[in-house]
Amino acid sequence: MTGPTILFEDIDERGLNTIDVYRRRGGYESLRKVLTTMQPSEVVDELMASGLRGRGGAGFPSGRKISFIPKVDVDKYLVCNADESEPGTFKDRELMQKSPHMLIEGIVIGAFAAGATKSFIYIRGEYVEQADIIDAAIVEAREAGFLGENILGSGFGLTLHLHRGAGAYICGEETGLLDSLEGKRGNPRLKPPFPANQGLYQGPTVINNVETLATMPHIIKMGGAEYAKIGTETSAGTKLVSVSGNVQRPGNYEIELGISSREIIYGLAGGPPEGRAVKMWFPGGSSSPVLTGDDLDIAYDFNTLAQAKSMLGSGAIIVVDDSVPVVSVALKLAKFYKHESCGKCTPCREGTRWTVSMLERVDQGLATPMDLDIMASVQEQIIGNCLCVLGDAMAMPIGSMVAKFRDEFEAHIEAARARNPWAGEGPPDPDPVLVQGASGA
Amino acid sequence: MPRPAPDTIAFTVDGLEVNAPAGMMLADAAKLGDVEIPVFCYEPKLGEPVGACRMCLVEIEGIPKLQTACSTPVRDGMAVNTQTARVKEAQEAVLEFLLINHPLDCPVCDKGGECPLQDITYGWGPGRSRFIEPKRHFVKPLALSPLIAIDRERCILCYRCVRFSQEISEDYQLVLQERGADSYVSTFDGHPYVAPFSGNIIELCPVGALTSQPYRFRARPWDIEGSGSVCLGCPGQCNVEYTVRDERVLRVLSRQHDGVDDGWLCDRGRFGYQSFHVDERVTHPLVRVDGELIPVAWDRALDEAAAALGGAGSDSGALAGGKTTNEEGWLLQELFRGALGSPNVDSRADGMLPRELHAALHAPALQATVPDLEFAHAVLVLDCEPVDDQPSLDLRIRKGVRRNGVKLAVASSRPSSLDANAAAVVRYAPGAGEAFCAALNGALGESDAGPGSATRKGVVEELAEAAGADADAVRALAAVLADAGEDVVIVYGERLTHGARGEDAARALLNVCGRVAEAGHDGAGLLEVPAGTNGRGLREVGVLPNAAPGLAPVSPVGLASAELGASAAAGAISALYLLHVDPLRDLPGRATWRAALQRADHVIAHADFLSEGLWEYATIVFPAESYAEKEGTITHPDGRVQRLRPAIARPDAVRAEWNVIADLSKRLGHDVSVLSGAMASARVFEAIPFYAGLTLDELGGRGLRWPARPAAAGWPAADTGPFGLETPPHAPTPNGALRLGTFRSIWAAQEVEVAPALKFLRQRQRAELHPVDAERMGLAHGDRVTVGSNGSRVQATVVLRSGVPEGSVFLEAGIAEESASELDGGGLVEVSPQ
Ligand SMILES: Cc1cc2nc3c(=O)[nH]c(=O)nc-3n(C[C@H](O)[C@H](O)[C@H](O)COP(=O)(O)O)c2cc1C
Ligand code: SF4
Ligand code: SF4
Ligand code: SF4
Ligand code: FES
Repeated sequence: MTGPTILFEDIDERGLNTIDVYRRRGGYESLRKVLTTMQPSEVVDELMASGLRGRGGAGFPSGRKISFIPKVDVDKYLVCNADESEPGTFKDRELMQKSPHMLIEGIVIGAFAAGATKSFIYIRGEYVEQADIIDAAIVEAREAGFLGENILGSGFGLTLHLHRGAGAYICGEETGLLDSLEGKRGNPRLKPPFPANQGLYQGPTVINNVETLATMPHIIKMGGAEYAKIGTETSAGTKLVSVSGNVQRPGNYEIELGISSREIIYGLAGGPPEGRAVKMWFPGGSSSPVLTGDDLDIAYDFNTLAQAKSMLGSGAIIVVDDSVPVVSVALKLAKFYKHESCGKCTPCREGTRWTVSMLERVDQGLATPMDLDIMASVQEQIIGNCLCVLGDAMAMPIGSMVAKFRDEFEAHIEAARARNPWAGEGPPDPDPVLVQGASGA
Repeated sequence: MPRPAPDTIAFTVDGLEVNAPAGMMLADAAKLGDVEIPVFCYEPKLGEPVGACRMCLVEIEGIPKLQTACSTPVRDGMAVNTQTARVKEAQEAVLEFLLINHPLDCPVCDKGGECPLQDITYGWGPGRSRFIEPKRHFVKPLALSPLIAIDRERCILCYRCVRFSQEISEDYQLVLQERGADSYVSTFDGHPYVAPFSGNIIELCPVGALTSQPYRFRARPWDIEGSGSVCLGCPGQCNVEYTVRDERVLRVLSRQHDGVDDGWLCDRGRFGYQSFHVDERVTHPLVRVDGELIPVAWDRALDEAAAALGGAGSDSGALAGGKTTNEEGWLLQELFRGALGSPNVDSRADGMLPRELHAALHAPALQATVPDLEFAHAVLVLDCEPVDDQPSLDLRIRKGVRRNGVKLAVASSRPSSLDANAAAVVRYAPGAGEAFCAALNGALGESDAGPGSATRKGVVEELAEAAGADADAVRALAAVLADAGEDVVIVYGERLTHGARGEDAARALLNVCGRVAEAGHDGAGLLEVPAGTNGRGLREVGVLPNAAPGLAPVSPVGLASAELGASAAAGAISALYLLHVDPLRDLPGRATWRAALQRADHVIAHADFLSEGLWEYATIVFPAESYAEKEGTITHPDGRVQRLRPAIARPDAVRAEWNVIADLSKRLGHDVSVLSGAMASARVFEAIPFYAGLTLDELGGRGLRWPARPAAAGWPAADTGPFGLETPPHAPTPNGALRLGTFRSIWAAQEVEVAPALKFLRQRQRAELHPVDAERMGLAHGDRVTVGSNGSRVQATVVLRSGVPEGSVFLEAGIAEESASELDGGGLVEVSPQ
């Protein structure tokens, strides 16, 4: 059993993206309840009681986050993080495409709880179709009086703007997102100050993931205590998981937190193709340390995965079967992070590039097993020393792969060296393509 | 705005108990316990830390992750460890990372020997690298600008230069392009980084990525010596350190003084040093023989000068330019008043201000300081453009607005680069500063609660109209000043008090000041931007026609500069003495001055370059010291007396100027008994009651603000208002013609014309016009035009600026060719296409 469905209850209903169908399905009733019968603090209480934890990656309790917003009389903001760029993650996309009003309703509820009067959705640039759908939904919601001034006669007003990103993973990191939204280069900021105190335009700001916000109307509808009964004690509720990789039925599934991972990978996604076995899997997006086929029976929830030295992250499960060399997975992953590193801090900027170079040498037969020690040590030097966690997001999975598949790495090195006539001659000459800036200052 | 006065807390670093101000960043606080934490990106001058380089990671007990010391404020009881294995590992890791893409070409790198990356690598690095892959390569070096070379391979991407451009000088030109390991520093569009303060990034760069084009490969750190002095480029008087090799200045660095310059220099001050060593410099006494200036021995030049002056007696006059020291100025007035019996000495460009108004405007009780700008509730920038007139102030004002929320108000005729930072802006007609002050005074009076001070209805409208300004804008500006709080500073340009109505303008200004700033209240008051570097000091040492040293009364009163010019042009003056001033270049009324120089029998000048007026008309020229050769004192606009110290020997026959003037005085029978530079300073300190007791030792390297010393009681008593004001004259109505406004840009300076590195910035005359006026006259951006009035004309290139008030045109003064001083300022001019 995968438990109750909440977010995906009506997801395949035709026309759910229009306000009429959404309202026919009970949409915006939670908002009405909030605005006509509740105080902001009561909304926060419900969210606290629900045990909802952030669905964007860090798993921070959502009610607590809103409660950090200072109750001072300045402009406050709510920002919805729809950058969804973590490899393997595609749940927000389906939510936004099929049920944009659920998100909008969640945004208004969250903003009311936080006292925010201006809100933004920051969506990744590649989500063109989803952005158009949301834009249309915002117009509908505004016309129906769920956005704008004096919503439902409550005196509460909220503006909502959609902002399209330009394709940088780092703009999903909350402070990089804020800088980008302000029109600056998307670099993470030093914390503290935290966004709750000084976020967008220096004002107090709540930042939440799409799924987190979309869950809020349901919590209001069923009551926090009721929601908390779903899932486990520390991981309440349901979670959308995006399953991809070597599985027979890739896709998004809504599961109750705490069910076994095997149930998701095999039960829902059909497991790897016939005759193949799970070699390793990323439980929470490409940034999570990998687990192996031996770990399939662990419960899928925040705490159990943390105990297994990995994490639930964004809830994206990437399955790798035994037909895929670990080196190619590691290289592909490292290249992604090297490409996406913003370059602001030293360990991530240089460490990702170095790791890619080392993995390329491993792949080309220009490495020795000693390089694996250097590679592992470089990952250690990155972890915990960066300005944001993008550096860790490469170092943790690469480190875990080198640790757990050392034998395979070594065998790969041996085999590649045997193939490569240049092995032992040292690194290749610098690639002239790398010489940049030839055109002037 | 009250300045932060943090409590002292106690924390431990490496087991050592240390006291530090609460909130100080750990990287700084650790130094108080003699513990150095290495940093690259941290530079407190740049504002909030960014935590980019990760060099400063330390362990704080109770916090699991290592923390960046540059961004962690100390708290009471904090226990910090900088020597544990974890910290060492992290430090070595960061250095290993930084060096993997660094070319390590130290032997050919200008920074070698004074490079934080080298030093920190030696101190904290791993010793060897495990990196064997190819490094990142860039074409190098490239010209980031004609002044700065960039080597992107050496760059450690610490963000300092970019932050300077974005957050300090706010020229917004430098950015990081690309991402991750491909990031590189550049201007957004690839154009050269040319900006008034660009050179600061060379000093900020912790590696050899940004190097000075003029300094590249000129010396290594072990060849050079540093020598501290003060820049004489403008009234900012920034503290500098000259880099000297073999009696040549090869570089100018900032010698950070938070009370003066905040550790920044402008490019004119930073690169102007080349002018000390160019061939055009005058290094021998010259005498005009048969129409030509020829080098002669000192004795001949001095004899001839003494004879000329002695013959002229009181039919003589002297002008001192802004770069004159207090000692030279004092000796000059001794020479004229004491030896020649001539009262005609002046250091102001245009018009005489009553002694009492000098006393009122600069009274210690109304004197604001440079740091006050940073912490004021509101700052009014009035009739000046800081970036041109005193560049260092521009950065200070921006800092106050950006970091402390200072409310800025700008009132000027020419658009200001500070407009964008201002809460209120008023544009008025060129030359209508007085009318604007009167209007502002009226607007402030309207909102005053007191019955006596209420302003008659409609008065603000009338006065604003006379100023050519918008009455509502004046009221909005008044509201900014009135509502901000008690610390209001008015920064005004000396030009406001110039001219025939300068006196009325000064009274109006004092009335405004009286309404917004309480006398004697620290952190509020007036701060003048003098027209010349040592404008304030020269007035205080008596280089005024109507005041003796210490601003004491004199009789008879002499001729002010413009009168002196007119008098000489009429043939009534036999000898003119020009100390660091060329009237054709530096003063308004070129036509009169040309006639004056032509008519006078003797024109004696101290100069380092023969600018037009001297080249054509000087009869005797004494070689002047460059400011790296000078000793003496100067007085900052906020009253700080600062000491100049010679960094290099005087070349060829150049003699100390105090010595030349004292010598002349003696030859003319007035022996002032000054035998050394130190004696000259001592005489000045003796002669001026409010400098009493100062000594050169006490001034030291940081100077002293005399208004903050007890001797300030010796300042003459002054009535600071309120005054009754006359109705100001109405700004001329253009009626098809245009009102002429003038300005002098930061680049309008001798140094810029002669220093090879700065020549590219040499100014050509441009006529700044509002697009509407240009369209009416059928002119486009870039067109060549003739601007003329009363028969004199100037050629210029049209520059369209939408901030220029309609009906006005702005031309630059103080430039070598086609200078605006050719025309009558404040009047109307015709602009016609060529
Ligand atoms: C490199 C990086 C990328 C991230 N990308 C996303 C993203 O695309 N979407 C998202 O919701 N959170 C992303 N996060 C997490 C956000 O920083 C933040 O924790 C989250 O938006 C908070 O929302 P939540 O509390 O609802 O989870 C990213 C974090 C990092 C470090
Ligand atoms: S960890 Fe990477 S992405 Fe994050 S700030 Fe540092 S360089 Fe940028
Ligand atoms: S050029 Fe220098 S100052 Fe600028 S980022 Fe690079 S190392 Fe830092
Ligand atoms: S601001 Fe003035 S004093 Fe300072 S460096 Fe520039 S010219 Fe010299
Ligand atoms: S000095 Fe602290 S991170 Fe750079």
